[in-house]
Amino acid sequence: MAEADFESRLLRMFDQPPPLADAELFSRRVEARLDRGWSLRQLMIGVAGVAGGVIAAVQMMGSGLMPELTEASARGTSLISGEISEAWRSTAALEAMPLSGEVLWMAAAMGVMALAFAVTRAVEEF
Amino acid sequence: MQQTRQIAGLHDIELAALAAAGDRPAFGELVRRHGSAVRGLLRRMGAEASVADDIAQDAFLTAFERVGEFRGEGTFSAWVRRIAARLYVRRWRKEGRLQAFEDGGQEEVSGGEISEASRIDLDGALKTLSPTERMCISMCYGAGLSHAEAAEALNAPLGTVKSHVKRGLDKLRVRLAQPSDALDGRRDHG
Repeated sequence: MAEADFESRLLRMFDQPPPLADAELFSRRVEARLDRGWSLRQLMIGVAGVAGGVIAAVQMMGSGLMPELTEASARGTSLISGEISEAWRSTAALEAMPLSGEVLWMAAAMGVMALAFAVTRAVEEF
Repeated sequence: MQQTRQIAGLHDIELAALAAAGDRPAFGELVRRHGSAVRGLLRRMGAEASVADDIAQDAFLTAFERVGEFRGEGTFSAWVRRIAARLYVRRWRKEGRLQAFEDGGQEEVSGGEISEASRIDLDGALKTLSPTERMCISMCYGAGLSHAEAAEALNAPLGTVKSHVKRGLDKLRVRLAQPSDALDGRRDHG
């Protein structure tokens, strides 16, 4: 019984933290590290998003898809459906290029990740 | 300001739920509430103040990453203290200090005479234990680990941990004897 009493007393003593004068400073340091980690994460996702966007743009321009889309727009609405199918064929050609399809999809995925992050961040801020 | 006041009035479990949803101010409030308990435990385990603070910071960052796992079965403070204790043990392992457990952990403490004040002071009393006894006692009574959990974390046999706890408790019982007990003893002999 005395043993149990002593152990209970010891537990209570351990539960009482020693008074530390710089408790507030410690809290601020932890919060600063949390913020740093968060900023770094934001930066990494941003960089990934930008890199993905650039790669996607380069791939699209290199494949000749953009001029075809522009031309389709200029011909007017009556021809849009026909031009779209032509543009779609260009997309298929793009996918047929070695690695191009995979790179495009990866870039698109990174872009979507960046967009999702931006939306999450916006919801959190506002 | 309004948000700060609202956060301050919330229970730890509510704050942890907010933190799990990415609310850093809510987690900051948890750090403010329990920072000293975690730092205090690490110091009681034998860490120097600067080391204790570094590990306590790491423990809170780990806790933030894993706060979704906190189910409120124990207190938030106890949960973070367990994380901190394990991180401190990991540091011991890196520094090769866990060898002391394999050697039997019978090393003596160079603490000199025990002051009168240390008789009623846990921090002072813990300093009279060997590092391994202090580690085991703090893990079991400060971090709330069972003997088996402490043995696993320390990678030491269960029997060894139990022995350290027993020896440590015996020493603490003497060191933490109430002054009134001592006075009674003096009266009996006087």
